[in-house]
Amino acid sequence: MTRFRLLVSEALHSIRANLSTTVAAMMTVFIGMFLLGICIALGSWMVSWSSHTKKEIVVNVYFCAQDTCDNGPATNKQKAQTLVRINQISAQGLIKKFKYISKEEAWSNMKRTDPELTAGLTANPLPDAYKITPTRGEDAGKIATQLRSPSLPPGVQDVRYNKKVSERVLKVAKVIEISFALMVLILLAASTALIANTIRLSIFSRRREIEVMKLVGATNWFVRLPFMLEGLICGFGGAVLAVILLSITKVVAMPALHLDFNAGSDVHAWPFALTSMLMVLTGLVLGAIGTGITLRRFLKV
Amino acid sequence: MPGRAGCLPGPTEHSAKLFERFSTSCGSRVAVATTPAQDVDLDTPNPNALPAPDATPATVSAGAMIVCHGVTKRFDPNVLALDNISFQIDKGEFVFIVGASGSGKSTLVRLLLKEMEPTRGTIIVGGRDIGRLRPSRVSQLRRNIGCVFQDFKLLPNRSAAENVAYALNVQGESAQNIRRKVPEVLSMVGLVDKMDSLPNQLSGGEQQRVSIARAFVNHPPLLVCDEPTGNLDPDTSVGIMQVLYSINRTGTTILMVTHDREMVDKMRRRVIALEEGKISRDERRGGYSSQ
Repeated sequence: MTRFRLLVSEALHSIRANLSTTVAAMMTVFIGMFLLGICIALGSWMVSWSSHTKKEIVVNVYFCAQDTCDNGPATNKQKAQTLVRINQISAQGLIKKFKYISKEEAWSNMKRTDPELTAGLTANPLPDAYKITPTRGEDAGKIATQLRSPSLPPGVQDVRYNKKVSERVLKVAKVIEISFALMVLILLAASTALIANTIRLSIFSRRREIEVMKLVGATNWFVRLPFMLEGLICGFGGAVLAVILLSITKVVAMPALHLDFNAGSDVHAWPFALTSMLMVLTGLVLGAIGTGITLRRFLKV
Repeated sequence: MPGRAGCLPGPTEHSAKLFERFSTSCGSRVAVATTPAQDVDLDTPNPNALPAPDATPATVSAGAMIVCHGVTKRFDPNVLALDNISFQIDKGEFVFIVGASGSGKSTLVRLLLKEMEPTRGTIIVGGRDIGRLRPSRVSQLRRNIGCVFQDFKLLPNRSAAENVAYALNVQGESAQNIRRKVPEVLSMVGLVDKMDSLPNQLSGGEQQRVSIARAFVNHPPLLVCDEPTGNLDPDTSVGIMQVLYSINRTGTTILMVTHDREMVDKMRRRVIALEEGKISRDERRGGYSSQ
């Protein structure tokens, strides 16, 4: 307990004595963590959006209707045969779920989603269909190819998925995911370097002090701990400031800019609490490790 | 000069008085060796003591504080700072190390503090071969060697008392003991009324007294002083020497590197002279230069 109190008082002592470098280090953490927070919020929102969009990719198997095929509408036997083929593909794990949608069901769905279009129609032109949701959006093409080869099942008019849209969505999603990961990595590397530099300045200005401490018989840890605690305090302070600014941005700036991120009910950034916790944690780790590593070469007295 | 040691004669009195008194109490090695000094015995298990010595050479007598044997320090292939020097300093001795700049005096001090390793040779401090000391025990060694430097090496943003207390803090001394010991040692060096002054509010002599107080507060068995009076005027130097003598009288061995010719000549203590890395002279009651 006494040791701990001594440790804290040593750390506070050196913070007071080197206020400007402490403030500089804290501001570095603050900026780094604020950017990290924005990056996490935007990045996780985009990843969530892209996975939401991927989920919307479906493969439709349209059965023959009265006037679309030469052989007339698909029979129940043909529909059962198609189901067997779908089940075979499903056994490979490519299919997340599939659903039979009768022409009546499809019609009522369409009336609900697109009332203007259905209003102009006198009869239901929609065929019976299977709606297949792939396990991964990327597999839609594979499922369609398997259903088409060697030829379309009897009674099936066509197998379709929105090729162009889904390929573009997938490409964009991949780019977003990679650039998010890159951004976080670069940001972490940059802020670590910045913090290490700031702390090095602060320690460099005190290398004489460290030399004296070592000469009167202080162990390396006795010298190191107050500096590390100081680093922790800087990291914590900077991160807390960043969380405050980020929540102000969230509450005040975003509504003011009319930024609307409601792309779908299941599209969310990570919860703010989680992002904040991550920021504070990263700040603490950066502060402590940055100091610890930087101190090493000054302790060799 | 404020802050003069109360228990010691000031520099305004004639310094001869000090030397006279000093020579009666510690005039010879024998006299020093008989000084009761349980505080400084490295073999007793107290927190200040070094770890138990292991397998010291049979040639080392029990009364030895420092034994250097064939110590060589080479910096570059071409720079030989110390060249195969051997000497022994006994417990309780007061020894001057003299020599021109670059003769290897400071290298010797740094080797004793294990700030660097000798290229060859063994150094035994307090019965312990410091060449075989694990890096984690170096701090233990330094707690047993008080050191005083020409440039004082005080922590600039701490008061005199805090500077002294720091040396106790690093070895986990209790706050209660610190409160007791710090004023004690500061009054010994005559700075009891300047406890709360920062180093830049003190004169050079006063700063050196703080630094001596810090070095001595643990009552180390050995005090190494690297030109402690190098930056001070002669009167102030005499005051510093008085403090060092009174510390020596408690049985603490003192090794003092100096350029102060007058001081060495007046003192007539043991003098080890270095010349280009070699010991050119080792006299029991020597002067600054050979007669």
